[in-house]
Amino acid sequence: MTSTDLTHRVTSDTEVGYALQPISKKAVIQLMGSRLWGRFNPNHWDPGYAQTTGLSAPIQTGEMSSAYIAEMCVNHFGEHIFQGSRIACKYVSSVLADEVITTGGVVTEKTPLERGFRFKVDVWCENEKGEKKTVGVVEVTVPE
Amino acid sequence: MNRLKPMTAIQEGQTQEFINGLAEECLPYWDMVEVGDVLERELHLSPELVTLYADGVEDFNPWYEAWRMNSWRIPGESPFGGAIVPPLLVSHFVLSVQFDHTKPFAIGSIHTFHDSEIFAPIAVGATVRITTRATDKFEKRGRRYVRHNAEVVDVDNDTLYFSETRDILSL
Repeated sequence: MTSTDLTHRVTSDTEVGYALQPISKKAVIQLMGSRLWGRFNPNHWDPGYAQTTGLSAPIQTGEMSSAYIAEMCVNHFGEHIFQGSRIACKYVSSVLADEVITTGGVVTEKTPLERGFRFKVDVWCENEKGEKKTVGVVEVTVPE
Repeated sequence: MNRLKPMTAIQEGQTQEFINGLAEECLPYWDMVEVGDVLERELHLSPELVTLYADGVEDFNPWYEAWRMNSWRIPGESPFGGAIVPPLLVSHFVLSVQFDHTKPFAIGSIHTFHDSEIFAPIAVGATVRITTRATDKFEKRGRRYVRHNAEVVDVDNDTLYFSETRDILSL
């Protein structure tokens, strides 16, 4: 599915309870420690340093999880996510290097507006064991 | 050799040298920020910067592509015309504004929360001004947090693109 694939798009016909299609990513240490992301802090990429600070493995920056959630939302809301939306995320547990992170989302509210609907979606990221790493809410307006 | 990050002796030495360079005298984030502090910086959202961001999270949406191998810089395509930046890209750069970036701060601070509003798409190639205001410092369950509000506007036409409330857990 890409942003131009309309199969899973949320439309004015979408109902509360609709589940967004998840995306999965591996927490690859080489990406976690890239210059633009976590290079400034060795806790994000150096196993030895991370151990000295009490971590069992390097941890991903929370913003990478938020980016995964945003990607899932673009798949479903397309251009509407870029105009008058809200994305709120709380990082409840650290993502460790080598974990596979999968996003999820369920429409929880659908409020009629003058010309469309405001959708509220519970979103999250979890690892292979189903342990929540990031939880949040997304609100998007979809025109009729 | 570590399974997650295989390195030879020369790589280990270079890595240690880099880490040692980070260990200069620095203050905890908590001590670097006072409530009411307002800071701002400008950031040019070049095609290459957007590519580095998107590649790091393996987001290969063509809407963000204003740089492509072999072609190099291209206008790109999106529902808004040319290429745009990913929804939360500017959020990633707020950290570089909300403290005095010319001074080192102690490694160990953790971003714990953000509540972001996206008002308008940002074209790749735009230059934005990120302004942060420290609004609160508080303790919760024995941990110290610093809260900021941030706004991102276009430097040329003052279009408000993005705003955010975010918390950092400080050492």
